[in-house]
Amino acid sequence: MMMRHYYQAPGRISEFSELPLWQRAAALDLAYVGYGLLVVFAVVASYLLGAFGWLPADPQQMNIELLNAPPFTPGHWLGTDFLGRDLQARLILGIQAYFLPGLLAVAIALVGGSLLGILAGYRGGWFDILITYFNNLLDSFPRLVLILFVIAAFRPDIYYIMVVVGITGMPVIANLIAGKISFLRAKSFIEAAHALGLPARTVILKHILWYHCRTLLVIQATLGMAEAILIETSLSYLGFGVQEPTPSWGNMVQAGANYLLQGNFWPSTAPALAILATILGFQLLGDGLNNLLEGKRWQ
Amino acid sequence: MDTALLRLENLRTYFYLRAKRAFIRSVDGVSLHVERGETLGIVGESGSGKSVAALSAAGLVSAGPGVIGGRIELRSNGVARNLLEGLERYVRVEERDGRVMAVEKDERGWRRHVETLMHGVRGKEIAMIFQNPRSALNPYSSVGSQLVETIRLHTDVKGEREAKERAIHWLERVRIDSPRLRFDNYPYGMSGGMCQRAMIAMALSAEPSLLIADEPTTGLDATIQARIVELLAELKAETGVTTLLISHDIAMVQRLADRIVIMYGGTVVESGRAAEVLAPGATQRHPYTSALLASIPRAEDIRRKSHLHAIEGEVLDTINVPRGCRFYDRCNRVTAAIRDQCASLEPPLAEVAQGHEVRCWLYPAMREGGA
Repeated sequence: MMMRHYYQAPGRISEFSELPLWQRAAALDLAYVGYGLLVVFAVVASYLLGAFGWLPADPQQMNIELLNAPPFTPGHWLGTDFLGRDLQARLILGIQAYFLPGLLAVAIALVGGSLLGILAGYRGGWFDILITYFNNLLDSFPRLVLILFVIAAFRPDIYYIMVVVGITGMPVIANLIAGKISFLRAKSFIEAAHALGLPARTVILKHILWYHCRTLLVIQATLGMAEAILIETSLSYLGFGVQEPTPSWGNMVQAGANYLLQGNFWPSTAPALAILATILGFQLLGDGLNNLLEGKRWQ
Repeated sequence: MDTALLRLENLRTYFYLRAKRAFIRSVDGVSLHVERGETLGIVGESGSGKSVAALSAAGLVSAGPGVIGGRIELRSNGVARNLLEGLERYVRVEERDGRVMAVEKDERGWRRHVETLMHGVRGKEIAMIFQNPRSALNPYSSVGSQLVETIRLHTDVKGEREAKERAIHWLERVRIDSPRLRFDNYPYGMSGGMCQRAMIAMALSAEPSLLIADEPTTGLDATIQARIVELLAELKAETGVTTLLISHDIAMVQRLADRIVIMYGGTVVESGRAAEVLAPGATQRHPYTSALLASIPRAEDIRRKSHLHAIEGEVLDTINVPRGCRFYDRCNRVTAAIRDQCASLEPPLAEVAQGHEVRCWLYPAMREGGA
């Protein structure tokens, strides 16, 4: 990869800060973010298609004549599964399984994590200790086992699972925010903001969380979404998540896997590829944004 | 009649040094007042407690135990308010023969109470500017939006557009050229002097009754320092804002201040009208003031390449404060007649002339009035 450097003589006041971000950025980061945004766009668009029922075929319509059809079969552009149901329609509908629950998990993690982080960073003292222990507790306990407990205690509902995913995602964000805050509190501009009479609420929410943590939160949101998708699909694969006949990428891989040894690799490979591409997209988006937005301005 | 805008009475702000299990007596019984419309300069070496006194007045001391006693009286709209009202119930001080031995303080309760007392005062009545202006502005937000924020918070200009106009007006008043362009600049795109101008604009935009300038030129280039001093002088003439100017730069204080308070080791050692205190031929002056004045590099000293004068000895260790005069160890004017007194008894602050007070045993006024 060729590294491009931009050197520019300042013609006007602080020209550098006015250079657009994409001109200052490394090409690789742009590629990451570009691909990630493409994936996000595809996922959102497909979600909306599914939500409004605009599907290429009926996802529940079986066809005994066309079991495990390969791609590019007339009428079934992506082939069919073991019951002859249209794979394309089921893949699109499969997004319903994780989209809203994933957003719920991300929202819980962000809001709860920020709150805990603010309390730990701003209040400090025993609150900080308590949050550290909470953190260690969640870290030392396998997440999947915790989720299985919840399933056993309640029922295999994806929203319950995602609440757990959200709560277990809180410590990471709380740690990051608390670190930011304890770093920023020593800065004199926070002290100056207090001296100018800004209420503590404004200083915390606007000057610390909004100005300094927003990029971090966006990055964590994309990474959290990737995580949520991974957990949803693996649970559905194991049979604890979304149940047949409702399609989910996880249970589609599972259903197709029974026919893998017969040479019908496609019905499980298609959703597997979808999972791969999507999670990769969210992860790379988070990574690229991290490189683009974080840690540059202090240097 | 008492008309002072701000009056500190016997203010004590201590800090606790855990490693030595001792108190740092940062501000140890300071009384001073600022008249409406004047500029009061507080001068002293680093560690003399001048900044801490100002921070205490703005309720911004965060380390423990902090302010442990005294009165801070702010007069606004003709009514004097004690900014430490009712705070004595959060702090219990144990003293043994005049020394603080232990302090018990409910920090959280104190903090909450200070916040309620300071509501509508900090930023609105008392505004502050700091040293190192570049780090006093939030690097992630444009100068203009920070200015707009304080304007909308403290004045009745609430609309986004009017606030922006007002902000640009203030940027213009602090002599920032092309204020409309600068409005969208981020602090890292501006020089230190320009940042300090923006900070001054932010502080003054609330139209405060008192401006505390805590070493406003420290951390700036020497050439910029003079410009900022000039700006402060001009703004003082224009707005007539009462200013509490804290500095170790006597030349700057001389330029701006009407009255001067000299601080040493957490106490006021001399106060009076600037012209009197700093007058070249003043006879009744505290030895510390003389030493400070002698340490200003003079053009002829530099031309003759003679030594610059430093004050002998170390800055007072405010942990082990001596029984007698705090300046005794460094004083070069102790005479045999008063030596015992100097070493064993702290002199009171007494008037040597109308409105001119000195804390020293040298002057007869002291011996009659004090001991």
